[in-house]
Amino acid sequence: MIDPRAPRFTAGITAVLLLVTIALSFAATVAAWVLLLALALLFLWGATAGVKRHPFGLLFRAAIRPRLAPPTELEDPKPPTFAQLVGFIVTGAGVLLALLGVPYAVTVAASLAFVAAFLNSVFGYCIGCQLYLLLARFRRSAGTPAAGA
Amino acid sequence: MDWIIPAAVIVGLLAVSTALGLIWRARQGAPAVVTPGSSAPRRENDTVDLDELGAGGAPHAPHQGTRATLVQFSTAYCSSCPATRRVLSGISEGSADVAYLDVDVTERGDLIRRFRILQTPTVLVLDRHGEVRTRFGGAVRPAAVRTALEGIR
Repeated sequence: MIDPRAPRFTAGITAVLLLVTIALSFAATVAAWVLLLALALLFLWGATAGVKRHPFGLLFRAAIRPRLAPPTELEDPKPPTFAQLVGFIVTGAGVLLALLGVPYAVTVAASLAFVAAFLNSVFGYCIGCQLYLLLARFRRSAGTPAAGA
Repeated sequence: MDWIIPAAVIVGLLAVSTALGLIWRARQGAPAVVTPGSSAPRRENDTVDLDELGAGGAPHAPHQGTRATLVQFSTAYCSSCPATRRVLSGISEGSADVAYLDVDVTERGDLIRRFRILQTPTVLVLDRHGEVRTRFGGAVRPAAVRTALEGIR
């Protein structure tokens, strides 16, 4: 279980870096692409190694949490970990499409990721939680026999 | 001016995200009241049989409240489900005729489709016949649940 403020802190730093990426994407396209790649790798690290080992999560625990009151409740790390995967897919797609020469790929991908990270950080909105339901609609339920069985 | 377009994009993104967040927050836990016997065409998900919610291996048969039943749909990927769980189980424990049932739909695509669950938690307030009287999307507020229960006899 994790402090629910940790993923929101992580999302806040990520949102600021995504804004920097967006600003750079109009002037210094290579720098913006490199920064988006770095953010995509951070998302991948968070999704695979776990949010507890995310660098911004570690920063929260080392520098921020000691200054705050103890959390009123703890949170399952699954939702923010899934959110990291969603972030990786969006930013990773931007990195790849930019390599293929798609115009504004970095700007658009960073903007989409920014909206999600901002809503997560400022409002506590969890986009991964909602996307999971849309994906789970296509899942065969545990109570239903397999097709053809 | 080279900086006008980037600045406009950033200001626009901040404005749109803030507006989306405020709309989302205002709609969290908003109740949708279902009037019994209304002229609206009845849908197949108006009445809930508690047994079907447990299909797939519930350890014990869920029991229905003699006045009302609070059904919460949760998933493992839900940050506000534990808080709603606390609110609803507290209300149920405080009144003998209100039952509470938490249904984990993480693996239940059938229930997600049947009840058109677009966000978690989603809460249904059933009367003693199993008819859906109120539906809440998102984290619930205790006062709103109590108001919904007041209308059920």
